[in-house]
Amino acid sequence: MTDISLAPPAPARLAGLTWRNVFALAGFLAALFVIPVVIDDDFIYHIFVTLFIFAALSTAWNIVGGFAGQLSLGHAIFYGIGAYVGIILMNMGISPWLGMFAGAAVAVVVAVAISYPCFRLRGPFFALATIAFLEVFRVLALHFRELTGGATGLMIPLKFGWEWMVFRERLPPLIIAFGMLLVCLAVAWWIRSHRIGFQLVATRERESAAKAAGVDTVKVRLIAVSVSAALTAMVGTFHAMYLTFIEPAAMFSLPFSIQIAMFALIGGIGTVFGPLLGAVLLVPISEVARGWLGAHALGLHGFVYGAVLILVVLFMPNGLMGLLSRLNKSSETSRQRQAQTITAAQAPSERPSLGDAIVKVESLEKHFGGLHVTNNVGFTLREGEILGLIGPNGAGKTTVFNMISGFLAPDSGSVSVRGADGTWHKPTTPADFAAIGVGRTFQIVQPFAAMTVEENIMVGAFHRFSDVHEAREVARETAHRMGLGPWLDAEARGLTIGGLKRLEMARVMAMKPRVLLLDEVMAGINQTDVRRAIDLTLSIRDSGVSIIAIEHVMQAVMSLSDRVIVLSSGQIIAQGKPQEVVRDPTVIEAYLGKEFVHAQA
Amino acid sequence: MKLSLLLKTTVAAVLLTATAAHADVKFGALYPFSGQLALLGDESARGLEIAVDEVNAAGGVQGEKVVLVRGDAVDNNQAIGEARRLISREKVAAIFGSYSSARSIAASQVAELSGIPYFEMGAVADEVTGRGLKFLYRTNPTAEDMGKLIVEMIVNKVAPGIGKKPEDLKIGIIHEDSSYGTSVAGHQKKYAAEAGLNVVSTQGYPASTVDMSSLVLDLKQRGVDVVLQTSYQNDSVLFLQQANEAGFKPAAIIGGGGGYSMQPTADAVGHKVIDGVLDADFTQFLVNTKYTPGLETFVEAYKKKYGEAPRSGHSLNNYVGAKILLDAINKGKGFTPDALVAAVNTIDIGEGVTAAGYGLKFGKNNQNERAKMMGMQWQDGKLVTVYPEAAAVAPMRLAK
Amino acid sequence: MDTILQLLANGLMLGGLFAIVAVGLTLIFGIVKVVNFAHGEFLMVGMYLTFLVTRMLGLHPFVAVIVVVPALFLIGALTQRLIIQPLMSARDDHIQIFATVGLSTALINLALLVFGADIANTPASGLRTPIEIGPVRVLSGQIAIFVASIALVIGLQLFLQNTAMGRAIRAVAQNRSAAQLMGINVDRIYILTFGIGAACVGVAAVLIAPLYPTSPTIGTYFVLTAFVVVVLGGLGSIPGAFVGSLVIGLIDSFAGFYIGSDMREVAVFGVFLLILILRPAGLFGKQLNLSHVSP
Repeated sequence: MTDISLAPPAPARLAGLTWRNVFALAGFLAALFVIPVVIDDDFIYHIFVTLFIFAALSTAWNIVGGFAGQLSLGHAIFYGIGAYVGIILMNMGISPWLGMFAGAAVAVVVAVAISYPCFRLRGPFFALATIAFLEVFRVLALHFRELTGGATGLMIPLKFGWEWMVFRERLPPLIIAFGMLLVCLAVAWWIRSHRIGFQLVATRERESAAKAAGVDTVKVRLIAVSVSAALTAMVGTFHAMYLTFIEPAAMFSLPFSIQIAMFALIGGIGTVFGPLLGAVLLVPISEVARGWLGAHALGLHGFVYGAVLILVVLFMPNGLMGLLSRLNKSSETSRQRQAQTITAAQAPSERPSLGDAIVKVESLEKHFGGLHVTNNVGFTLREGEILGLIGPNGAGKTTVFNMISGFLAPDSGSVSVRGADGTWHKPTTPADFAAIGVGRTFQIVQPFAAMTVEENIMVGAFHRFSDVHEAREVARETAHRMGLGPWLDAEARGLTIGGLKRLEMARVMAMKPRVLLLDEVMAGINQTDVRRAIDLTLSIRDSGVSIIAIEHVMQAVMSLSDRVIVLSSGQIIAQGKPQEVVRDPTVIEAYLGKEFVHAQA
Repeated sequence: MKLSLLLKTTVAAVLLTATAAHADVKFGALYPFSGQLALLGDESARGLEIAVDEVNAAGGVQGEKVVLVRGDAVDNNQAIGEARRLISREKVAAIFGSYSSARSIAASQVAELSGIPYFEMGAVADEVTGRGLKFLYRTNPTAEDMGKLIVEMIVNKVAPGIGKKPEDLKIGIIHEDSSYGTSVAGHQKKYAAEAGLNVVSTQGYPASTVDMSSLVLDLKQRGVDVVLQTSYQNDSVLFLQQANEAGFKPAAIIGGGGGYSMQPTADAVGHKVIDGVLDADFTQFLVNTKYTPGLETFVEAYKKKYGEAPRSGHSLNNYVGAKILLDAINKGKGFTPDALVAAVNTIDIGEGVTAAGYGLKFGKNNQNERAKMMGMQWQDGKLVTVYPEAAAVAPMRLAK
Repeated sequence: MDTILQLLANGLMLGGLFAIVAVGLTLIFGIVKVVNFAHGEFLMVGMYLTFLVTRMLGLHPFVAVIVVVPALFLIGALTQRLIIQPLMSARDDHIQIFATVGLSTALINLALLVFGADIANTPASGLRTPIEIGPVRVLSGQIAIFVASIALVIGLQLFLQNTAMGRAIRAVAQNRSAAQLMGINVDRIYILTFGIGAACVGVAAVLIAPLYPTSPTIGTYFVLTAFVVVVLGGLGSIPGAFVGSLVIGLIDSFAGFYIGSDMREVAVFGVFLLILILRPAGLFGKQLNLSHVSP
């Protein structure tokens, strides 16, 4: 095992909470609730209500901003919607307990309407779009006075009691805020530890690889944004009842949106409990800092706040949770699984004979600008066959792959795949292809860097199994088969190129594909590994999977392929048995130039 | 220099907290001391501080020394938190505040629920008193008073001054689009309609705008004679400059407080450009002191305490409100909420005897029914009071 | 007709104003690939510097260029070196955004601490003189901004196309690792680019200070529009940003007159969102070639 340099295996983030952690967490939450009750003071109650509200909002934000990696700086839109809907309905005599859900429903509709077109925007663009939407909402709230009260805002009628969510006593708001925090945490935890959570993180890490693994990336992100918006709106309704007064400037505020995101950032973006931790640390500190610095010099408090933010970002980019897990690491090592011996490639079983066609590619055409990159390419793949796709660099092999896996739409021509039931389908999107059993790897490996090896493979396994335990079993089994057993708990970024290539294959294999598209899985790995990869591919074939492989390593092409297609400048220039093809002068010319052919002749 | 000031205030604050330990009676001072509203929040609080100094120098209230505990109402959630802290931890007998209407509305709900009196001396929105709270009192004039005074000024002085009938004037109302501008503009419209004035355009705009040329063009096209603007500082400067540069010279421009009352605005716009511009606001400093006895003493005290002249009339109005309230409390019995309420309900002070000119008597919804704004005009780089006659130090200058 | 011409002139002048603020932001965005949320605060710092130089030395504001531009170059370079560069390898770009948000907060409040919340006036020095061109009136200072923004766009374009350093910058923008392999010091190029971007906003500050009173929050008034312009123009396309600025200036001007000034923000952001969604690459951005790396 020379090819895998081992970063020390990090503890699996999702390997389920240990009992010790569960108790610690429960104790922590209980303490948060009990402290204000014991101190029994109005102001302390207020600080904790504020803390719970911010922690809940930040936890909800984190589902989109952290898990899905879509940096929303417009989350106050949903908070504001919840607040406005709640108060407008309350003024009509409807209890905020119902208004809360109405607000959540409106927020979900708005969230989907906003996000659907915006999801094609990544990183800063998404952030800017959400800011723009926030501004639009603020101006609209100012403009439609009849509904929103305009700039002067709305007030609630002071009707007290549980049914109106407004209280003279101080305990009930604390209970509600705490309850909302628990709900948000529970939802976030559920998402992160189930299929959708894996799919979200996979989408965040590598959208294309996630698509290839059969993840409907748009759908999962829309679900995430809907859940997040609904939770945010519900907290917004409660906070409005607590404030008893709302106005557009305070509800649809950019600084407020940034603040919500910041708690998550400081606590640990993308972790379940990071936002809570961030709020627990920051809310009291900023209260104290405001008291100490705020009253004495204009701006000092804000200056310190900004400076601290920069320092935190610079020196603990993974937030408090990152710090905690570093501290925790030493104690976790005992949990590390025993290194497993790698099972050699399974003993080859009897090879089944070739079946009927399973993939039909007909006259594909593709232009990039003036470049004709795919010119009338057509071929068929038979069941149980390995088809080699070779050609010089720039011949358009990967483009063809992209078209027969749904990542690129051809200008004309078609790709048909025979389903398990024997009927023919014409899939168009990566999700379609994945659904019908076409799996692919990428020439440039695309691991989900922040996930462990096991989690990486699980993303593939989720394509067939929705249950976490089943998916984990399949992932482990696949990992052992691919010789990745010892690194199950290591983060994917720690693997070497050979390990990553195998991870890439393992992820596809976990999807249990019927057709496998391999894009240069042997490039750049050493001789021993090439040999093993060949055996592995053969054993995959023998298990009934049909394979198309782009490959440069001739040894592999020759020993694997039943048939070879040679592509040059976007055209098929030769096809046939490997031995015949390599002797074809057109092929030699394409690879080595005219002079070589003449010299040989 | 800033640093030494900082140190001084820190030491002062520490001493203050130390003395607070055996303080006699505590009141809350709830203003925005940081964030966007800090400048005028702080200015407002200074008026309260001077009032307390005077009262303490004269032996305190009911023989006990008054101690102020500051609360920083930087946003609405914070206003609630600070109100709670003042009431539950500091055990203040009442809260004084708060310059900003939004903060006042949020914080006074808390005080009302706790049954602690809340004395508002600066926020102008109708909703502050409009909610019918039992423990909320407001001493200062409101957005409504501002709208009313401006229309009064147009009818009584501006129209005759420029030689037109009031109903022949074309009025254009522009306002920044937050609560302040919107509610003043609403009252301007209402009173203008009652007075039979012709309002040809009403437009809101965000206070952070960087260009008002379209708005100016619109007013110019409509041939507006009198522009009413309710604004903060940036947009006041922008409008006055862009109107001047576009060659738009209405017969009168009447500002509503905010940016219009501040010296830096005049300096930024240029004294020539702003000359003749009218303004309705709280009582300012260039006013007939026969009508505002005690004003000079206040300015003296202010200069002595803070080492500079008052930055706006906010301090004066908070001073006047606080002074009257504390005097009334002094005559009352005890500091329980009911005693305080009973004490301030007896206040009955007429016009022309306070440093702000207006009198004080709490009427419907505990709003001071005698509160009035004044009309000012920028003349030769100074903001002088021109309306009403009794308070005026100079005649209103208008070109026919 | 005169009204339309005047609105047109106002829109173009406003466009020039947005352009001169946005040019530096575009450069940084296009090359370093960082959205600098502190860009408006760079402008604010430049305006205060202009204010100080003119007030203390009694010079014409334009002379302040010799102080403000180098100072901002330095601020920009330091920002890149000390704050952005350590985060270049960060897992996602959220981190960099938050760092610049932190910088923005710190700078606004630092200004509040040093100068107070009052406005600071740079003397107009003759730049507020109205100039009449036919039926249209504009300010000399506005024309100066407009001309300067064109000069800046052309100058930067020439610099990027025709100098060795400019080519190195473009190489880094196109392919960071290839540029590195060719022996270009990528970190230095980034520092330089950030510095130049900040220096551009220094030029803007000198020109804007005489026309707008300076306050700690003045940067926030411009920065959202500048973002809009950058995205409209296409990722890092400087001429694109210029055209985008004019478009936004004109929309602002006409919408302000015909729709009403309270809704013109909706018009501006509405157009922004439409273009962002329909043409994510912006008006002038190139579509990315997707053959090897899938979308």
